[in-house]
Amino acid sequence: MKTPEEIKSIESQIWNILKFVIDPEVEVNIVDMGLIYKVEYDGEKTVNIEMTLSTPACPIGDAIVLNVQEAIKSKFPDFEVDVNLVFDPPWSPDMVSEEGKVLLGL
Amino acid sequence: MQGLATDNAPSPGVVVPHFIFASISFIVVVVLMLLSATSFTGFFFEPHLLAITHTAVLGWGTMIIFGALYQLIPVIFETALYSERLAKATFWTFGAGVVMMVYTFWNNEFSTLLVYSASLTFIALMMFLFNIVASTRRATKKTFLSHFITTATYWLGLTAFLALLIALNYKFSFFSQSHLLYLKMHAHMGMAGWFLLLVMGAAATLIPMFLVSHQMNENKLKFAFYFVNAGLLLLELDWLFLHGTVMIPVWGLLIAAGIVFFISYVAESYKKRLRRNLDVGMKHTMIAVLAMLLPVILGLTASVSGLNFKPEILWKIIMLYGFSIIFFFITSIILGQTYKTIPFIIWLVKYKSFVGKTKTPLPKDLYSEKIADIQLYFYIASIPVFIAGIIAGSEIIFETGAVLLLITAVLYNINVFKIVFHKSRIENENT
Repeated sequence: MKTPEEIKSIESQIWNILKFVIDPEVEVNIVDMGLIYKVEYDGEKTVNIEMTLSTPACPIGDAIVLNVQEAIKSKFPDFEVDVNLVFDPPWSPDMVSEEGKVLLGL
Repeated sequence: MQGLATDNAPSPGVVVPHFIFASISFIVVVVLMLLSATSFTGFFFEPHLLAITHTAVLGWGTMIIFGALYQLIPVIFETALYSERLAKATFWTFGAGVVMMVYTFWNNEFSTLLVYSASLTFIALMMFLFNIVASTRRATKKTFLSHFITTATYWLGLTAFLALLIALNYKFSFFSQSHLLYLKMHAHMGMAGWFLLLVMGAAATLIPMFLVSHQMNENKLKFAFYFVNAGLLLLELDWLFLHGTVMIPVWGLLIAAGIVFFISYVAESYKKRLRRNLDVGMKHTMIAVLAMLLPVILGLTASVSGLNFKPEILWKIIMLYGFSIIFFFITSIILGQTYKTIPFIIWLVKYKSFVGKTKTPLPKDLYSEKIADIQLYFYIASIPVFIAGIIAGSEIIFETGAVLLLITAVLYNINVFKIVFHKSRIENENT
């Protein structure tokens, strides 16, 4: 079992990894798009990700989810990554980070 | 993973052939146009015009919509297509029907072949209708947008049914009125009932999704739906039972009001968009939406009998009316939305299993953006040339427009085939 500091550090590493997962339609990473709601590491081998999509109808939604799992596993091969896709609260443009707004050209 | 549209996505083998058939049809349409420019500058209804129109609306427009709709049904209804085998059978039946029908019209074989080609096409469209209705019946999610799709499909069925009656009438002559009245009914069912409602429903889903616009006023879509349907129904009933009264422009105005509500919805999405830069697909789409205003104005003008236009002026207005619906509105939206659908379909097939593991190209890397841009410019250039050619009644101007559109069609085909036959770059690296 890891210490709370180690858990925090791994969670922040995961946030950084997810910055490399791009939504191919808007070409902005999913963290700055505000699609990631929660990253929780249990201190053992499981990471829980709570995330959404900009629209439930997103035709490439499962490619994005797969990308999240694979991106984390590439850095932490032993981890089990559970992605929980939620649409409540629904994503809204207010969730885009300042950096994301710059990337979107806003 | 629950609730994902891709869980229910059809296999690409169902969707992709529609895009191939349609892209080739687009080239055929323009070649036929070049061979028969007089059909557009003359003053009477003739078989070549029917051949070109049906290649465009069936082989190009409807065929690609079928393919796109099979992909879109899981997105809108959150259910899989009822039967992929039926969809494949529909493709072959419909394709054969369209080829035969175009041959029939082009070679003026009305009394011999028309009944058979119309029957074959009718059967194909009924197969499609059954597949769509059966799919929507088991939909887990029904939004207002789904009404656009189902209602458009019913209008398509009616359009095909009336077409079959018109074809039978050539053989057995049972209509009480001139067949031109029924042709008018048939054309409007097809244009406003099938294409307009379908495009509105699909675009209302796709445009806000691609522009990333939120908090949209959905009431505008409800008004659009009810106005177009009410106007069209009254228009058809007026023609059927009263053979065209002075109220025709009023019914036309109802349809126009529906279109204005839809345009206002798109404008709202454009204003609220998070994605600032429009790619070539969205530029084409926006041209199509703006182009809707042209047939609205022309159609309303032509419908007011009190204006007493000279026959040749009225014919030009009607010609431009039909032409702008097919070649400005329908064609532009298809040219645009192709770039928003088929690259994603192929990208998912080729790269889904590689995402996150290795660097994959983006869907837009599957086609040449440069070719798409040039295609857009040639397309835009063709619009005023066609309008001038039809107004001036000049073959040479019209043919110039057709050459510009032919270049558009060839460039479009290059990109479509580039996407369809894309070889995975990752596999290449491995081998």
